[in-house]
Amino acid sequence: MSHYHHLTEFHGLPVREFGGPEADHTEVTDHGAVAWRLSVEPYGATEDFGSRFARFRETVELERTSALIVGQWDKSGVDPSEVLRLLEENRDRLPSLRALFLGEIVAEEQEISWITQSDVTCLLTAFPRLTELRLRGGHGLGLQPVRHESLRHLIIETGGLGGDVVRALGACQLTALERLVLWLGEEEYGATVNAEDLTGILAGTHLPALRHLGLRNSEIQNEIAERVAVAPVVARLTTLDLSMGVLDDSGAAALLEGQSLAHLHGIDLSYHFLSEEMAERFATAMAAVGVAADLSEPQDGEECACDVDGAEECDCAEFRYPAVGE
Amino acid sequence: MIRCTVVGNPENRRVALFAAAVRAAGLPAPRVLPWLEVLRTLRDGGPGALPRFRPGEIVRLDSPGENDEVGVLLRDVEDQTRVEGGALWYARFTGAVRALTGRALADGARLLDDPDELAVLFDKRLCHGVLSGAGVPVPRSPTSGPGAPPVRGWDDVRAAGLGRFFVKPAHGSSASGVLAVQTGAGGRVRAVTSVERDGQGHMYNSLRVRAYDTETEVAALVDALAPDGLHLESWWPKAAQGNRAMDLRVVVVAGRATHAVVRASRSPMTNLHLGGVRGDLAEAREAAGPMWETAMSACERAAACFPGTLCVGVDLLPGTGWRGVAVGEVNAFGDLLPRLTGMPGGGAEGLDTYGAQVAALLRGTAPRGRGAATAQAGAREPAGAGDASGAVPVAGAVPDADAVESVPASGSVRAPGSGDMAGPVAEESGVLCGVPGAWRGSGTDVEK
Repeated sequence: MSHYHHLTEFHGLPVREFGGPEADHTEVTDHGAVAWRLSVEPYGATEDFGSRFARFRETVELERTSALIVGQWDKSGVDPSEVLRLLEENRDRLPSLRALFLGEIVAEEQEISWITQSDVTCLLTAFPRLTELRLRGGHGLGLQPVRHESLRHLIIETGGLGGDVVRALGACQLTALERLVLWLGEEEYGATVNAEDLTGILAGTHLPALRHLGLRNSEIQNEIAERVAVAPVVARLTTLDLSMGVLDDSGAAALLEGQSLAHLHGIDLSYHFLSEEMAERFATAMAAVGVAADLSEPQDGEECACDVDGAEECDCAEFRYPAVGE
Repeated sequence: MIRCTVVGNPENRRVALFAAAVRAAGLPAPRVLPWLEVLRTLRDGGPGALPRFRPGEIVRLDSPGENDEVGVLLRDVEDQTRVEGGALWYARFTGAVRALTGRALADGARLLDDPDELAVLFDKRLCHGVLSGAGVPVPRSPTSGPGAPPVRGWDDVRAAGLGRFFVKPAHGSSASGVLAVQTGAGGRVRAVTSVERDGQGHMYNSLRVRAYDTETEVAALVDALAPDGLHLESWWPKAAQGNRAMDLRVVVVAGRATHAVVRASRSPMTNLHLGGVRGDLAEAREAAGPMWETAMSACERAAACFPGTLCVGVDLLPGTGWRGVAVGEVNAFGDLLPRLTGMPGGGAEGLDTYGAQVAALLRGTAPRGRGAATAQAGAREPAGAGDASGAVPVAGAVPDADAVESVPASGSVRAPGSGDMAGPVAEESGVLCGVPGAWRGSGTDVEK
């Protein structure tokens, strides 16, 4: 699972960690044939991000770099404004940059909700030819409505996403965007997003090319399913992903009762809290119209921690969480 | 003929497993000298009353853990699931070890352990200092070595300025009292730990790992743990297997990494009794690639810091993506991995960890006795051992001649039972040192 392991491939290229001063890259003959990964060791730092980037700039043919991954830039609590400044400053030397992953930080390095992001609008304005942008971490993340005509893939993975970011996305004109994936998270980990905030995205007015929509990892997964069931944007999708969240029978029922999903190639509801009966019903309904439904990873919910012995009743019979929080 | 004595808790599997390995090698069953007897003798009669050893006898020290009576004698705490009392435990245990090994050496016996090295192994600060000084890769620590300032409470922890880190009782083991702490923007603090506090502020080891989300709670826990001594260590981002972070327990016998298990967990504590699971060793080896040799070599270098100790269990932390390795801890009694046979190429294929130790003994690669360890160990309290009269301060000793129990000169010899080799493997619970030995389950105390 991506959240636990560093990528070995990004944007179709093998990932190459740039590394510290001792790292040797002489065997990389084509600097454009790898996805470069830049990060520092925040728990034993020998070189800060600025110094590492400076060496990167000296060592690698920036002009040929098409894919860049930024891992940990500092210890938790420090935002990536320095990283953004360096990228922006070097925009003219990065004419081939097409894919960027800001915050490729696995759980062992920093749990997702401890990653501090910042306003990333400048990435879209500074790199109009970017086709793939992936972000991890919702804390401090900001976005302003912009128009971008190249971006095809946008993935934002969080343990808690702000409603302002989602609303801004809905107002962005992303004319080439084919794939939009948002991990919405839970309030406990900073989510302020509500179903209403999704209105712009679900209307799809500014997302004419959208083919895949993922609204995942949410504690309001049922409400999202209810909205999606009647959302105009669904008609243009080929795949829909409502996985990793707290989806139960009510959300699944809303999907069955809503607009036809028969045009989809697939729907992903994996990691869900559906009853066996509902899971069966949903699978049957999708199979009948030729839609591949992923209903794997059924969840039971955690038993409550209350001591119910002798207690009259406990109203927290079980706790349900999205797949990735903390 | 080689004759062995095990100082341990006779009812413990460790003793039975070692005895089985000794017998399997065709040697006479070892005699067992119970810690309970050693501690009571020291308490009631002082070092002079300790049982005698025979010249040439080989003496193995094993864990005093998982025995309530021994636990009470070592730290005056009735409930062995309690966390407190580590400093007292350390003083009494190392004191007893010094007295006992002093006696053994004076009688001409040969030790498979070293009292000074044990004193280092049971103090995480000293152990970190020794490893670091020997160039063994370790996570960063502001409490490394005998010269580091003590951690008096949460304020000192805060002042250390670590972002994500472990707070560990200096003398704890098997995650007892350990907090995995994360601090972030806006004063956010979170600690994940198996420690739970009751209404009176008493701390217990719980099998349920929980999170404390306010600085007030975390500070109160750290302040309560501090009097027994604390070690701080930077977080070391570990490699993962599937969606679990992993580390390795590597057993090093007579200088060679012989046995290894992968422990994988979703919580910061990989200990198997805290929700950790056995990972896949072959998969880890493959993921490690050339780093595997580096990892095993780090374990062997860590063990080499303790040349007077036949066997240690090294916690090896592979970094994210196996880009580096670090040694987390070195455990004196880290060999309880029943029925696990040696890994390919480790020189103990087909043998369990105990069999490997007996084989080393027969090969002549085991420590020859008090080694050159003292200089390296750098214990805070210079050893007074080697002196047969054993002028070792033993906490709680009452020199009351009337109270001295009659102890046979040879010590009370108990043949261990046939051993519970068929016992549940699940008990390789990661409680590998057993200090203290007990954990609270949900509602009932669980002896691990």
